[in-house]
Amino acid sequence: MQNFYELSQRSFLGVFRRPFYVRDIIEQMDYAGAGSFFIVFLVSLFIGMALSLQISTELSSLGLKMYTGKIVGISIIREIGPVAIALSFAGRVGSGMASEIGSMVLGHQVDMLRVFGIDPIKKLVIPRVLSSTIMLPLLTIIGDAVSLFGGYYISVFVSHQSGSFYWSQIRAIMGFQNIFSGIAKPFIFGFVIACISCYMGLATRGGARGLRQATTTAVVLSTIMIIITDFLLTRILFFVLGMQA
Amino acid sequence: MIELQDLRLSYNHHRVLDGINFKAHFYEKIAILGESGEGKTTILKLLLCLARPDGGRIIIDGRDITFLRESELLDSRKKFSIVFQDGALFDSLDVKENVAFCMREFSTLSEDEIENRTREFLRRVGIEEAIHLMPDELSGGMQRRAAIARSLAACEPEMMLYDEPTSGLDPITADNICNLINELSAGTPPGRRGLIIVTHDVEAAVRVAERFLYLKDGKIVFDGSLDALTHAGDPGLRKFIKGLLPR
Ligand SMILES: Nc1ncnc2c1ncn2[C@@H]1O[C@H](COP(=O)(O)OP(=O)(O)OP(=O)(O)O)[C@@H](O)[C@H]1O
Ligand SMILES: [Mg+2]
Repeated sequence: MQNFYELSQRSFLGVFRRPFYVRDIIEQMDYAGAGSFFIVFLVSLFIGMALSLQISTELSSLGLKMYTGKIVGISIIREIGPVAIALSFAGRVGSGMASEIGSMVLGHQVDMLRVFGIDPIKKLVIPRVLSSTIMLPLLTIIGDAVSLFGGYYISVFVSHQSGSFYWSQIRAIMGFQNIFSGIAKPFIFGFVIACISCYMGLATRGGARGLRQATTTAVVLSTIMIIITDFLLTRILFFVLGMQA
Repeated sequence: MIELQDLRLSYNHHRVLDGINFKAHFYEKIAILGESGEGKTTILKLLLCLARPDGGRIIIDGRDITFLRESELLDSRKKFSIVFQDGALFDSLDVKENVAFCMREFSTLSEDEIENRTREFLRRVGIEEAIHLMPDELSGGMQRRAAIARSLAACEPEMMLYDEPTSGLDPITADNICNLINELSAGTPPGRRGLIIVTHDVEAAVRVAERFLYLKDGKIVFDGSLDALTHAGDPGLRKFIKGLLPR
């Protein structure tokens, strides 16, 4: 546990210290960001549609279905978008990081880096932490937009509401508070997922079974931490932004 | 000068090394013999501080490196290069990038220069034709050669460490690897590059080394020349070197 704390701290500080492995960072951004686009797109689209379907049905029984856009928008941007996308990201990218680094450990490749005088934290961990801290917020912005379009599709074509009214409600909730809480979360999630996954990868011991263990633990821990951090962040953001529950 | 003083190491209450003492010069050619699991690989890792001992000291050129921090180990690690049992090539890079790895990290050579040097190192180990293959497309023998080339390219080390360089290879390939090892450590004592080879292949050890250590129950129970080795009294050791003894 102490080592985990040390790894997180060093990856945070190391971002600002030489040497910088620009090529590795770009490669990781491509893997984590561009590579996750498809899954984020699909997940977001269907979550947006399902949510809109649920909410418009419920609201129409109360005669309030014109508020669908507002409720869908707020839930997606503040809560469901960041969490759902972070969870898909942890499943895809977190497991990938843990298993890749883990197999490098088992194959003595990480030892080889150290023999050559290269710090594995700088060469392997920081590019991954940096790329997922940058890419997850971007993916979340894209995913949120896709979700809102999914919600739009359902409320206009299935629930027969006015499309322009849907968008005007979305526009109305695009205030600083909502946007800020929607973007601040994925920054933290991205950092947490990458630190946990890299740590698990570097701690891999004991062959194929150890690798399985490392990968599973990386995803399970990331999942738990996303959910817990989400709650804590929501509390903190409400406090900082002066919102009342 | 390498000095190991009373090194002790346990893994999960299982004592692996139990007081290892020895001194060697960088130009020596040493073989560490021992049964599987006796801690031969562990000794190499300790020399490079890839593992830390529970007790004892590791002194390289008069400097106690036992508990130095990672960032302070650069100087002592530069004196060595290691070829692991499985080659430990970076498996997401091709052979050329593996060999060129340290040139890219630490020098500002041009692309042509890197290509030329890489080819030169691969020619020295005899696998120039494999330059664009990925590590998993190489045979076991080629992987070790590529690993040797990479180690040479990294730094011209004062001492090479080989972990089971011939295990799992056919006799002819094993023979070629021994030739290569000898070639890389050719010359006469103070000037030449020394080596430590860790192996249970006694024939290979005899072909490349001049000084032999035998590891048993976490201790060095034999330390001497080939001549002394063939006359050793220890029954376990005699069994181990059976192939060398006259029938
Ligand atoms: N990271 C580790 N964690 C736990 N035990 C270990 C570790 N590394 C080595 N060991 C144990 O230490 C002992 C010595 O291992 P080592 O790899 O040095 O043996 P070896 O002499 O090189 O054997 P071989 O000839 O089979 O390669 C073994 O019993 C092994 O189980
Ligand atoms: Mg070994």
